[in-house]
Formats: sequence, C-alpha cells, structure tokens
Amino acid sequence: MKLTVNGVEHEIDVDPRTLLVHAIREQVGLTGTHVGCLTGDCGACTVVVDGQTTKSCSVLALSAEGSAVETIESLADGDDLHPVQQAFWDEFGFQCGFCLPGMLLTAKELVESTPDPTDDDILRAIDGNLCRCTGYNTIVAAVRKAARS
Amino acid sequence: MAALPARVGIGSSPRKRDGAALLTGRALFLDDHRPEGLLHAVVVRSEVAHGRIRAIDTAAAAAAPGVALVLTGAEAAKHAGPVPYFIDPAARGGNRTDIRCLQVDKVVHVGQPVAAVVAASRHEAQAAADLVRITYDVLPHVLDARAAMAQDAPRLYEDWPGNVVAHNRYGSGDPDAALAAADVVVEGELRIARTTTAPIEPRGYLASWQGDRLTVHASCQNPHQLRWMLSVSLGVDESRIRIVTAKVGGSFGLKMQGHPEETLVALLSLLADAPVKWVEDRRETLMAGAREQVHRFRVGATSDGRITGLVNEIVADIGALTAQAGWAMPNMSATTQPSGYAVQDVRVELDIVCTNKPPCNAARGFGKDAAHFVMERAVDLVARELGMDPAEVRRRNFVREFPYRTATGLNIDSGDFDGLLDKTLDAVDYAGIRRGQAESRERGRYLGVGLGFELTPESSDSPGTFVSGFDTTTVRMSVTGMVTVLTGVTSPGGGNDTGIAQIVATELGVPIEWVELVQGDTDRCPNGFGNFSGRSMVVGGGSATLAARDVRAKLLAVAARLFETSEVDIRDGIASGGGRELPVPEVARALLTRAFAIGDIEPVLESTRAYKPGNINHVPDELGRIQPYPTYSSSLHAAVVEVDAETGKVTLADYVMTHDCGTMINPALVEGQARGAVTMGLGSALSEQLVFAADGSLASNRFKSYLLPRAGDIPLLRMIHQVTPSPFAMHGNKGAGEAGVGGAQAAVANAVEDALAPFGVTVRGVPLSPPNVLALIDEARP
Amino acid sequence: MRYTRPADVDGVTAALADGDAVVVGGGTMVVPEMTHGRVRPSAVVDLAKAGLAGIARDGDGWVIGAMTTYTELARSNVPLLATAARGITGGPQIRNRGTVGGSASYANPSSDVPAVLVALGARMRLARRGGAREVPAAEFFAGAFRTAREPDEVLTAITVPDTAAAPGYVKFKLVEGSWPIVTAAALAGPTIRVVLGGAAAAPVVVELERASWRARLRSEVDRLLTEPWDDVLAPGHYRARIAPVIAARAVAGALEEA
Repeated sequence: MKLTVNGVEHEIDVDPRTLLVHAIREQVGLTGTHVGCLTGDCGACTVVVDGQTTKSCSVLALSAEGSAVETIESLADGDDLHPVQQAFWDEFGFQCGFCLPGMLLTAKELVESTPDPTDDDILRAIDGNLCRCTGYNTIVAAVRKAARS
Repeated sequence: MAALPARVGIGSSPRKRDGAALLTGRALFLDDHRPEGLLHAVVVRSEVAHGRIRAIDTAAAAAAPGVALVLTGAEAAKHAGPVPYFIDPAARGGNRTDIRCLQVDKVVHVGQPVAAVVAASRHEAQAAADLVRITYDVLPHVLDARAAMAQDAPRLYEDWPGNVVAHNRYGSGDPDAALAAADVVVEGELRIARTTTAPIEPRGYLASWQGDRLTVHASCQNPHQLRWMLSVSLGVDESRIRIVTAKVGGSFGLKMQGHPEETLVALLSLLADAPVKWVEDRRETLMAGAREQVHRFRVGATSDGRITGLVNEIVADIGALTAQAGWAMPNMSATTQPSGYAVQDVRVELDIVCTNKPPCNAARGFGKDAAHFVMERAVDLVARELGMDPAEVRRRNFVREFPYRTATGLNIDSGDFDGLLDKTLDAVDYAGIRRGQAESRERGRYLGVGLGFELTPESSDSPGTFVSGFDTTTVRMSVTGMVTVLTGVTSPGGGNDTGIAQIVATELGVPIEWVELVQGDTDRCPNGFGNFSGRSMVVGGGSATLAARDVRAKLLAVAARLFETSEVDIRDGIASGGGRELPVPEVARALLTRAFAIGDIEPVLESTRAYKPGNINHVPDELGRIQPYPTYSSSLHAAVVEVDAETGKVTLADYVMTHDCGTMINPALVEGQARGAVTMGLGSALSEQLVFAADGSLASNRFKSYLLPRAGDIPLLRMIHQVTPSPFAMHGNKGAGEAGVGGAQAAVANAVEDALAPFGVTVRGVPLSPPNVLALIDEARP
Repeated sequence: MRYTRPADVDGVTAALADGDAVVVGGGTMVVPEMTHGRVRPSAVVDLAKAGLAGIARDGDGWVIGAMTTYTELARSNVPLLATAARGITGGPQIRNRGTVGGSASYANPSSDVPAVLVALGARMRLARRGGAREVPAAEFFAGAFRTAREPDEVLTAITVPDTAAAPGYVKFKLVEGSWPIVTAAALAGPTIRVVLGGAAAAPVVVELERASWRARLRSEVDRLLTEPWDDVLAPGHYRARIAPVIAARAVAGALEEA
C-alpha cells in the first residue's frame, strides 16, 4: 500500500490486520507515535488523519491509504519548536514524555480550531489522553499558554 | 579559601533538559529500538488461578509461520536458575519460594508465565502463542487474604506452613494499658482496594548477545540491580552484561527489577541466537498489583484529644510471591505508623499473605501511603467521638521536637507540622468552608472538607539488600570545559537529571548548558542503585555535589597557579583572580595540555564520589528497631468535595497540598512529582480498583474498566511550599516523589465522611466510587 | 483476512454477501476487538469510501448517514443526538472517528447512541444485496451487542423525524474515563418519553404524563427495569437505583425545571 506520512509517500507491505500505529512505527520508522493500550483509551498513539486527530491504534493501516497522515515528527520546523511544543516545555506539561506526542497533537487541534478556549474546552479536548505523571494541571496550563501565543 | 559559588541554580526551575527530544518525538523509548534481525516474544500465561501443569503441547505453535522458538518452563530451567529476590523474605524471617522465569510444575495465579514464543513479528508470535495448549490439574484457589489464612485454605506453596509470608509485630510501650486508661477508644476498619501504577509506557525488554556478552535495553528503574539479577539467574559474570535504560515512560515502582520476563527475554535471545524484544500488552501491565490491605485499628485518646495508644492489625494481600520488591511494601505500612504524631504506646501486627492473584509490585508510596491513610482516619474518628474539630486533634498530637524517635523506631529528622496545618487551613479557607457547610446542606448539597497529614520517610537503606541509601556519581570535565555527569541514579520521567545538572553547574560555577547527564547505562555509569524511595536528588544530588566540588577545587588550584594568586573564583564559566579572567575551558585545557608546565597538580579533571546521608542507623536498639531513612518529607492535604447523595458521586471542588521536602533544588519538578502522586492518590481514593472475577481472572483489564483519573477529574491542585531543611542531607533537601498518595487518599476519605455527616456515614475503605458511596449512605440510613 | 473498501453501498452489500465479513466504520470499537483476538473475521469491509457520511434534511426529518462522526453530529442541530455526541467519552480523536452507525451497530449497552435513537423514534435503514429495509430503532436494539441487523446487511442511514418536544439529556459516568453507567434521553411534548441507556441490555422506554411524571417516574422505572445491566464498573442494583434519578434529571432538563 501507499501511506502518506508528513507529506512523504511510503510504499509499504502490510498485512490487512496491521494497525496504522504499527505501520507508522515499524514500516515507516517514525517512532514518536507511541503505543500505550491498543484499545483506543490512552491517546498516546494520536496522529492527524486528513486534518483530524485520530487514535492510530483503532485504524487499520489500509484504511489510511489515500489519506494524509501527520505525526509528532511533523510538528517542529527543523529546530524551531511549534508554539504548542514550546508551551508544554515552558509550563512543565510533561514528565516522562510518553503521552506527550498525543497530547501535543490534540492540543494543536484545539488551539487551531478554538481561538480562545475555556478551561472546559481544554479539559474536553484532552479527555482522551491519559497522563500518569503530571496530574494534568501543567498540561492545561500549557494548552492555555499555547492558545494565547 | 575561595568563596562558595552563588547558588543561583539551586532553587530555580530550569525546564526539563530532555525536553527537545521528547517534544519532537525523537526520544527513544524501549519499544523504539529495532536492531537488525530483531525477533519478538510473546509470553503464554496461565489461564487458571491455581493448578498443576500436566502437559504443554507446543507442536502447533512451533510449526506456525515465522516462529523461531517456543520455550517451556522445564526447558528454561535447564538454562536459567531462579530469579534472585530484590528483598529476600527469608532474610526477614519469612517464607520464600523459588521464582522462575517460566513456571515448571505449578501455576499460582492467572497470568503467570508458563511458556514463551519467539517469532519474526509480534503478530506471528501472538498467533503462535494462541496455539500453545496447556493442560492443568486445576486446584482450588483462594482470592481473599482472610480466607487464605484459614487452616484449610488452598496452599499456594506446599512446603509452607500456610499462606502467610511473614507475621511481624512493631511498636513500643504498652498500648493495651494505654487503651484501657484512655478516656475514649474508637475502633475502625480501613480496606484499601487493589490498585496498580499503570505507567503509560508498559514494561519491556530487548536482549541481544554479542558472543558471550549480553546487552539488555530495559524499561527499568534500577539497571545495576538488574545486571546483578541477570548475572545470578543466568550464571553469567556481571562484567559481560550491560544494561541500558535510557528513556523510561513512567514507572512509579512497577519497573523496579525482579520480574520473570527480565531473565526470560535474555534467555530467549540466547536460545534464539538473535535480538529478542518483549513489550507488555496493556492487559499484562494491568495485572501488576500495587497495594491491597485491610487495617483494623483501635485508638485511645484523652478527652482533650491527645492520642495515647494505637493498636493496628494489618492483613496485606500481596497475591503470589514475587522476586520484585513489592511484596515487602506492607512492612512500611507498619513501620511508618504512627506517622508524625507523638504516640509512643503502639502495636502494629502485620500479616503478609499470599493469594492466587498476580503479585503486588512496588508502587509509589511503598506502603507508607497506607500508614498515613489509617492514621488520618484514626485521628478523624477520635475527633468525631470527642466532638472536636479534626484540625485541632491533629495539632494536639503533632511531634514538635526533632529528631524524634517514633514508636516503630524511625528517627524523624526535622519538620514543622503546625506550620503545614496553618498554611493549609488558611489556603483552603477552612473556617469559611465550615461556615458555608450548614447552609449548603439546607439546600440539599453535601459539601465536605477533609485533611490528610503525611510524613514520608525517603531514601531508604535496607541492610544487606540492594535497597541502598547511598549512590555514586562521576563528574568529568573534558579538555573543552564540557562536563559529563555519570550517575547511578536514574530518572523514569521525574526529571532528576535536570536537578542534578543544576547542582553540578552551580557547584562548578559553569552554565548548565555545559553539563551533560548520563544515566541508566551500567557500562558507563558508576555503581549505583537507580530510582526508588525518593532518593535520587538526595543521594544522586549529594554525590554529584561532592564530585563537582572536587573538580572545582582542581580548577581553582590551576587558576591560582595561572593567575599567581590564591584569591580565585569561578562563576558563570569564568575563572578570575588577581584582576585577571580566563574562561573555564581554557583552565581545563591548561591542565590537560600543559600538565608539566602547570606543575604538581594531578592532571585529572574527574572525580567519582559516593554520598551517604546522615541519620541512618542499622544497629538495632533495645527493641530491635533500626532507622533506615535519612530524611522525612511532610505534607498536609486538604480536599474539598461535593457528594451527590442521590448517585454517590464525589466531585473534587478544591485541593490544597502544603509540602515540605526541605530545600527544593527545582521547585517546578518538585511540584510535578507532588501533583503526580496526589493524582495517583485521588485515583485510588475515588475510582481505581483492580477487580478479579471469581475464577481469578482480571475483570478490569483496560482503561475503560480500570479508571485512571483524566484531566476533567482533577481540579487545580494548589501547591504551597514550606522549607524545613534536613540537617542530614547535603543541600537540606528531602525526598520528593512519593508524598501525596496517602495524603490524598486520607483527605478525600475524610472529606466524604464530613460531607455525609448528616447521614452519619463512616468511611471504611476506598475507592469511594459512586456505588460504594451510595452503599455507605444506605447503610447509615435508619 | 481480506480487506475491501468499496466505493458505494452496492459494493458493500456485495462484499457482505460472501459470508463472514466484519464491517468497519470508524473502527474505534471493532479494530481493538480484532487486535485482541475477540473478533477474528475472514474479511473486513471498510465503509470509509462508501459515501455514507453526512447529515441531510429530508421532508420533516433528518437523514443521518451511518458514517457520520460524532464531531459532525456535535456541530448539527439534531436534537438529543448532537448533545450526546458532544459528550462522547474518549476525546476528540474518538469523536472525529467514531460514527453513529458504528455505535448503533455495535449496540454496547454502555453507550449513548442506542437510547437516544429510540427516544427520537429513529428508523434504521439496512441494505443487503438486492434489497433494503427499515427497522424502528426500538426494534433494532435487540440486546447487549445484538441488533436486528443480519450478517449480510449494513446499516446505511438513520432517519430521525422532527419533533416539537423539548429535549433533555443526562449521562452519568463514574469518572471521565468510564463508560456511561446510565443515560437518560427525554423528550417532553404533550406526553413525556424518557429512554434509559446503560441501565439494561437494551434501551428502556418510559412513557409518562406531564402532570404526574414526578410521582410516577420511579415506579415506572422500577416496573420496566427488571433486568438491569451488570458489569465490572457497576452492579445491576446500582444502575437500577440511580436510573430513576438520572431519568428525572433528564426530564427536568427538558422541562427546564430545576
């Protein structure tokens, strides 16, 4: 199949059961997208498919043929961090960093679609992303900061 | 003598140094390593809670596509011995059993490893694993600790006299007499349901052999102990084993070593003659228990609220025995009583009991959480019995003179518990909440406030084990002036690498950007013990300080020689003296390239130092008590809750934690640790519970049934700091990272009971999930 | 396993006619089930390109394509369904991907969609090779994870008639991350209908008079909720206990009563 990730088309061999997350990690070789549960609950595998955040453990790779997939690796522009990344760094919005790629892509979708999000908007937006380290307060602060920048 | 460097770095909050790699997805976690020729392992696990393995048919699995190897316990036992214990129960007078990487004869819980399959892909390995047929002679099983203590209970380990690993008694004085003489005696029960740490990155290992040398990449907290453990179980000299634990995606105790899969994966790689990786499925991660115990307690007090005696009987259900440290946690539930209250007549009876459930693994709090929880419940029950305010009862019983030897022998280094209480009550507006409570009750709203005091012994040292109270760090300056710090402590995510870099930069007087940290590599780092017990900044930071001071002293000596003056200083990467300045890199280069011109200064800009904090005493006193902790962090928590009396749902309205971990090296990282621990406590207080079906299988096997807090569940956790430096630690810092679990549990439980006071509810356990809270209300209704 | 992604409904029904195929809509339910081996299909039919997404007006009602996502629904004006869609658990990633048709076809008792569709009097359009039929939502949901859909059929659309009745929707979860424990979808017109989700294997319909709803609600729920749903999150007796409470809140919301 052909899988377009971060604007690059990859010709890869997949079994029909292969999940998008495994295709991205193992075939395309981009390991910033993480596997936390494979049940669609934790959000660590979040990617953007055709402009919308998606849990890539709940999508068959073949379903993404013809779609534009974006991963965490596309967020920064070279060494220049995206404002959402910078805000998470400044506000200590992560500790171990394992949930971070999913959080960042979810946060980016929110700040791009909702110019001045309320705290409730932020909580709803990151409702599908589990973090076990931070207690979320600093993540909410980071999203708030990113929305303002 | 040269002036000490300005401590600009310590107490400030530079951002996490590994941020760029993590934020961009470039950081490599365990599962991101994919060497050439990699094979994947899947573990075949017992489907029965208790049974004798009669036969294992591996033929279909072995013939399945892509399969390189199918291993059974009998075959594994030919190549690997038992996994050595992190803390051997026999050394503590308890019962032990051999822990194997794959079970040979018998299984004692659902999920116990029985066989393993190695194949070219994870999918093929899983498909083949599904074809392994195991037949058991099923034996009766027991899932409840009380039932397991009965004479006729099914016996997990047949050579034991029962299912009790150890029975221990702790305390001093004469609590029976104290209770007999008390004005009031209250009894209580506290059932703490089984939870799990559930880091978002599951456990995993990647083993590969280069000839007779083994390299293991591991999602693990303690690389040096893991090296020793593999050396013992595999019979391979330690010098031929390298453990690398670069990035760990959260751990909270789970990834301390001692798991069967560590030996298993190394063995699979040896037998398959290829790199082999195994990463847990979430259902496997969720099997790991964190805590499950029942406390029955009696506490006596005078009519003015002074607690005079305490008796607490603990039955701790640890599931099956494990070589991991987790089985020992209930000991700390006993020894941490009676917390920071001045009660000397105390008896704690502890039974650590095995049942046919998966083992308990080490978990943030390490049992100390339960000690606080039970004490805070006892204090609230005394207050209720006496009609006193719970805050006042706490104040009447706090320890105020330090160091203070507790009834169980701990030596509390320092603290200001009244200060914690005052700050917390003020911040949460305790008086205002009390005023508003009556009015809201009239409107059918049930608001409550609860307090939880926590005294968290940290940086433990358990004699004769690898629970070590010291650690070791090397500080090395290169000819370019760049600094490499190699330390034995590891960071599973909390950020102690940043804190240690701050200390080293400050001590040396160089920019933090010059400092590189290396952790979690047994070939590069000095001997150490990794991450546990809130130790990393105390002993990692302390040893880094000593080593950095050695290097600084050397730099100053060189600078003095160069400037021809004894009045020299180093700040911000510049050495100065006698009106002259020289960048530190040039001082370094002078020593390392013109050693003979410089003269009789040994040309080494490197030091390796160990740091042993004070206050640890392993000589048993007349009661046989030892003192294994240098520092005691303390905190006071206030939770404000609203309870929906029609559904039993508890909503957190406000939360304040006043935290005292002595000097803070990086306050933002301290707050991160504290908020994470509090959130874990809130989860176990309100929603988290591992539920087992009657057959011993795990019913709560995904994040829709094991309910971790999500963002919308957690209010702003307001942090207030109090700094009472430890006299026994290098910078006056105390451990941070565990404080919060027990305090949060206690504050929430007390708040729920307070909110539902009109019903006369008595909280007797957690989680206080809506069904459980509604049951409490029903039970209290006339 | 075969994978097909037909370009229209005819292609879908043709693929389903062959036998043991699983339909994948958004995938949020069935793909994890496949990953964990609880569903082992010989073929997968992916609806992504079958032209089944979108919400349209049709006479005096709505036609909602089976592949319409929660995110699209949340932006719509379809009563109750838009509200329920906004509150779907799992984050925007799930709302972006999960579909109303997928949720209906999965028929998890602990989910929002079935009870809402029953409350709305929705009709389910099913297609098979060479034929189509419509089933009222109340008949479609046959039990836990069971619907009136035959293995060779696909749910193509859901029609929802306009209603003048006032909507009220309440979802009760243990915490943010749990499945719904009890949901209540109320429509208050000349009479009141409140449909309970999560409380039993299939939605439970409670009809009430406006004048007496408060007095009658508890006994009606007790009468109709004879076999409450029981799972690891909450025992049946708890669901039965709170079902009238949640129902009353939904009705009160519809009537804008406090």
